[in-house]
Amino acid sequence: MTVDGHSGRTAPPSDDARVDELRQRLRALGYLDAGVDRFVLGPARASRRPWTIALFASIRVGALAALLLGPAAAIGVRARMPSLVAGPRDAIVVAVYLGLFFGLAVAASAFVAGALVSLAARQSDASFAKRGDRLSRIAGVAVTLACLTYFTLWWQTVVANVGWSAPYWTISALAIAVAIGLLLGHAVTIMSSAIIVAAVGNVARVPSMSWRTTIAAGLVAFGGAALLLTWSARAAPIDTPRLTVVPSGVRVRVIAIDGFDPAIFQDLADHGRMPALSSAFTQGAVVRIDEDRDRQDDPARVWTTVATGQPAEVHGVRGIETRRIVGVSGSVPAAEESPIARAIRGTTDLVRLTRPAIASGIERRAKTFWEVVSDAGLRTAVVNWWATWPARSDGAVVLSDRATLRLEHGGALDAEIAPSSLYQTLRERWPALKQQAVEMAGPLPSVISGDDRRALLRRSAELDAMQLTLASAVSTANTDLTAVYLPGLDITQYALLGSSTTPLDALAASDLAGRLAALREYYAMLDRMLAPSLAPAAGEIVIVVTEPGRVSARTGARMALLGANVSRGTIGDSDSTSVAPTILHVLGVPISRELPGRARLDLFDGEFARRYPVRFVSTYGEPSRSNAVSEGTPLDREMIDRLRSLGYVR
Amino acid sequence: MPIAVPVFFAAYQANVEEALRRVVRESGSPVERAMAYTLHAPSKRVRPVLTMLSAELCGGTAERALAAAAAVEMVHASSLILDDLPSMDDASLRRGRSANHVVFGEAIAILAAFGLLNHAFGTIATAYEPPLSSRLAALAAEAVGRDGLIDGQAADLLATDRDINFDLLERIHRGKTGALFNASAIAGALTAGADADAIKALSAFAKNLGLAFQVIDDLLDVEGNPSETGKSARKDLRKTTFVSFSGVAGAHQLAAELCETADNALAPFGRRAARLRELSAFIAARTA
Repeated sequence: MTVDGHSGRTAPPSDDARVDELRQRLRALGYLDAGVDRFVLGPARASRRPWTIALFASIRVGALAALLLGPAAAIGVRARMPSLVAGPRDAIVVAVYLGLFFGLAVAASAFVAGALVSLAARQSDASFAKRGDRLSRIAGVAVTLACLTYFTLWWQTVVANVGWSAPYWTISALAIAVAIGLLLGHAVTIMSSAIIVAAVGNVARVPSMSWRTTIAAGLVAFGGAALLLTWSARAAPIDTPRLTVVPSGVRVRVIAIDGFDPAIFQDLADHGRMPALSSAFTQGAVVRIDEDRDRQDDPARVWTTVATGQPAEVHGVRGIETRRIVGVSGSVPAAEESPIARAIRGTTDLVRLTRPAIASGIERRAKTFWEVVSDAGLRTAVVNWWATWPARSDGAVVLSDRATLRLEHGGALDAEIAPSSLYQTLRERWPALKQQAVEMAGPLPSVISGDDRRALLRRSAELDAMQLTLASAVSTANTDLTAVYLPGLDITQYALLGSSTTPLDALAASDLAGRLAALREYYAMLDRMLAPSLAPAAGEIVIVVTEPGRVSARTGARMALLGANVSRGTIGDSDSTSVAPTILHVLGVPISRELPGRARLDLFDGEFARRYPVRFVSTYGEPSRSNAVSEGTPLDREMIDRLRSLGYVR
Repeated sequence: MPIAVPVFFAAYQANVEEALRRVVRESGSPVERAMAYTLHAPSKRVRPVLTMLSAELCGGTAERALAAAAAVEMVHASSLILDDLPSMDDASLRRGRSANHVVFGEAIAILAAFGLLNHAFGTIATAYEPPLSSRLAALAAEAVGRDGLIDGQAADLLATDRDINFDLLERIHRGKTGALFNASAIAGALTAGADADAIKALSAFAKNLGLAFQVIDDLLDVEGNPSETGKSARKDLRKTTFVSFSGVAGAHQLAAELCETADNALAPFGRRAARLRELSAFIAARTA
């Protein structure tokens, strides 16, 4: 007969504290479920030297940290960067990366603690053994505190930064951090004991903690972490207020011209070769935009600053090139170009951990003016602006910077166009739209010599014409805001003057003259293409925003307003963060107090300024993270190839 | 009424009994009779059965592990004779009858103990080929030696009539009981050519089970019926035992948890370890 032994062993639980103490002692001695201790002390079983034990046990402590912290941190990252962690697969990959990172960091910390204990043990006499348990505890407490401080600050600054405004999340995160910190500290205590045993032969007691001590330590640690979190917290974010529009009856068309040199323009205007733009600049209000020239040659960065009204440090798009982490569908912002960042980037690219990607809306952390306008309930359309992919269908019509590429390639949409229903319409009209763009680009002037230059100008003109054509196609008479970005001038200028391997001062005079002549011709071509767009309809304001582009870094940018209620002449200086609030104010949308720039009321006549004073809201909130329609094959490779052929990326 | 051993035990016990009777006869010289007296006394043969079950769990056969199992039991019988001596625990009752030295005298009992110990090593040396025989001999020497039975017994003697801390008590139990439990399990695994992971898991099983066995032994000394336990009741009153630290209920609780941990250590073997789990269940519930 078989005995039902399991029923025989279920003695009534004892609440005697002595039993719990004994249980802890047994765990410390390797009985019961002291799995962590056995795991950490694995390398100490053989008669190894203290340093060797410290090394191998630290690796195990690091492995433990990686297993615990990787998944926990991935959950935190998911809360903060949903675009990076788009699904379970991404979560696993991020957990692996973060696990590796935290594992290495904790292993290094544990090794330092172990090495210090080893040094202390070696330089002490035999009586040191009696104090060994105290030293082990100190090492464990030090690592616990270091881990907890780091976890708390990491959670605060990198992951959530929401402080106590999300109390359940915060309490959960701190509780997990405390539990993991205590466990890792315990592991280091055990490791230190083993090191002391190896160094001096024995310890008076094996360190262990009763459940009462553990709970007390946990509560103290939690309180400390909570204080640290409170102390380091920024002001809690305010709920995004609802935007109320005071209709001004004005529609706005924004034309963004990159690579625009005011000096060349003025010379051509003086010779009557740019009648349309000249008219806009003379009959409208013009603002000189003084830029901080630091890195202002990067179009993705500059134009996202214009679109969001925030500096790059806030909007997050720091350059055309970003890094995509292998295995993750999202991307992370490229680091600043410090030598260390370049070295890390080169190394991670070399081992294929990261690969270059193009700036996109994934990195952007501030709303663009068209997103704010759309949030306010107005009809908007934006065409070809930088970092607009993936296009999210939150009401606005968005033809992202990849839209033309998708329309050329066909196939299923990968968030290049929003709303997705628009894609089919445009795809059906694509041949006609192309023909229309070719006609708008018109014939090349005969004075342009050289096949290469002619091909360059043809390509740039058709590219700009296509954006203008698409803008016309997607906007209607009821569209409150249309914005289109024209890259052709910058592409032309850069190809003629910026990309040559030969320095400009080494070029033959005739060659240089030919290049400048071609560039000047393109200004005239652009003026001709823009002419219909620069004539504001009734109740419409056209805003031309120019940036000097990648070559003319020393020349200034301009913003010109043309249309009803607009003053005339050059009116002061500004910076590019004032463009967005000015556009928003024209449309009757309140201005966020978070924007550093101001709406330029002085560009309008007194009546308009009086009737429509600037109104403010606390914040526009964060950009929408709603899912974009993404069914097709990503055009990442094609986008990089195209931008490389246009000289944007190397 | 004593808890009956698991059904499958009988076959293993019978094999062990037969093997022990082959190696030590009941007739012959006084020393040989004294050896047989303790070795063939009624016993559950937990340790040799553990050896054979471990061998089978690791893909070997009970038959090949039988010699190692017999050696383990001879070492155990030897330790019992020595433990009961007047100079040691001075016990008069063992396995339900008079202690060896009471029947044969102290001198013959000591010789019988050494005879059994010697015979255990001889059995290992002749039954197995090198290097397995060397590994088994080293394992037995370790279980008996200064970190095993001898250390445990010495620490136990020095602790008599003295207050001892829990760490010392654990050391005594680890030496007197745990070491041979551990050796029993590992010996079986070695005869089956087990890998390091299997040996590690069995070692964790035996370590926890060995301490549980001893905790229950302490409990039986307090609660048990001498007619069932076969030992003098409350002979450990002068000693600090597990029960001294935890109380009776606490000792029951911890013994149960140790057995449960032992079972958990067998997780890598899955259902194949069912018989070893039955063994731990039997130990957890034993009354003798």
